[in-house]
Amino acid sequence: MNTELPNPNRVLVIDDEQSIHKLIAARLRPEGIVVTGELDGVRGIARAITESIDLILLDVGLPNLDGFQVCRKLKEHPSTRNIPIIFLTSDSTMEAKIRGLDMGAVDYVTKPFEQAELRARVRAGLRTKRLQDILERQSFLDGLTGLWNRPYLDQRLESELNVAHRYGRPLGLMMTDIDHFKVVNDTHGHLFGDIVLQGVAEELRGYARRSDIVARYGGEEFAVLLTDTPLSAGTFVAERLRASVENRRFEVHDQVVTVTASFGLACTENIVGNVTPEALIDAADRALFASKDAGRNCIHICEGGQIVRVTGSAGLIEAQ
Amino acid sequence: MDPIRSAFEDDPDMIDIVREFVHAFSDRMTALEDSLAKGDLPRVRTLAHQLKGAGGGYGFPQITEAAASLEMVVEEDAELLVIKEKMSQLFEILRAVVVSEDD
Repeated sequence: MNTELPNPNRVLVIDDEQSIHKLIAARLRPEGIVVTGELDGVRGIARAITESIDLILLDVGLPNLDGFQVCRKLKEHPSTRNIPIIFLTSDSTMEAKIRGLDMGAVDYVTKPFEQAELRARVRAGLRTKRLQDILERQSFLDGLTGLWNRPYLDQRLESELNVAHRYGRPLGLMMTDIDHFKVVNDTHGHLFGDIVLQGVAEELRGYARRSDIVARYGGEEFAVLLTDTPLSAGTFVAERLRASVENRRFEVHDQVVTVTASFGLACTENIVGNVTPEALIDAADRALFASKDAGRNCIHICEGGQIVRVTGSAGLIEAQ
Repeated sequence: MDPIRSAFEDDPDMIDIVREFVHAFSDRMTALEDSLAKGDLPRVRTLAHQLKGAGGGYGFPQITEAAASLEMVVEEDAELLVIKEKMSQLFEILRAVVVSEDD
């Protein structure tokens, strides 16, 4: 999981005057800020969507779309909504300032600007961005296990499906559920139940590759998004995880407790019909339920509409 | 008119782009003259607006001031004679600008 915030900061200038781009670049370079520029709103918006931008300095008097229209579009688009916008303009009327701020801009700088003021306002805008990034990250984490939460998984599932589709790569989804978790809770208490959830989360995280997305799906259910992974490789991962959960020893009041988990696996390559997020989740879920029905602590896969129990790789690993 | 120098001429972060800005004055003046000759007043206004926004930042508050006057008379739909007058005042300032050419 990549927890690093991007560095250095990147500022996008949208202004129809090239000399303003150069001026701002020269003024912000000593702050360690990389400046890129676009001369009109349409290109500016495209740039903000496709590149990682931390702050936008936006001119009001632009050709075609004016700055207010650009601001509205940036605030509407999910991938640019959180980028702080500072209006940069020679229009210093109070009405223009209020309009800009009401549209979601964080600040307003009038041209010609004092360099010290510009730097200070950009620094303040970047601080806002950093805090927003941290908040957004926090809102996507599960507090107990430190894994991603379900809203984040749903969001990533959608974008990873697009990537998988565009590059013709397989995307696997593994659903897992701790067996008889209610009994564990009822017998040893909820605090111990929490320790079990954290332990299983640790096993999942330990086996996941950097590119996998491990999430707590809800209650005692977890989901792992396996990027670029066909069913065969996903099955291998599931079997290792099944064994590692089974072998983990939890201690409560000098007593050793073990748990098991059931697994269900699906892959975009083996879905019949349209490969939607819902179809993939449904396929993995049905496989998981089949594992529960078959007595738990086992793995089922969804292969072209059929639910199949995995025994081959499991037997092989256990025999080693 | 006395020579006009950028307030940032001694700033090593700025000198290169100040030179570039000054060297482009003749192109800007040509564009302003051509636009006025064609009667393209919106373009005259845009060009004046751009100089107004950039001048001060490059250490030339006089340019911002003169360009703002030109922009204002165009916005106010003033007589052509008044616009020409403001444009030549701006040009006078642009022509008075000098910049050191050696590092």
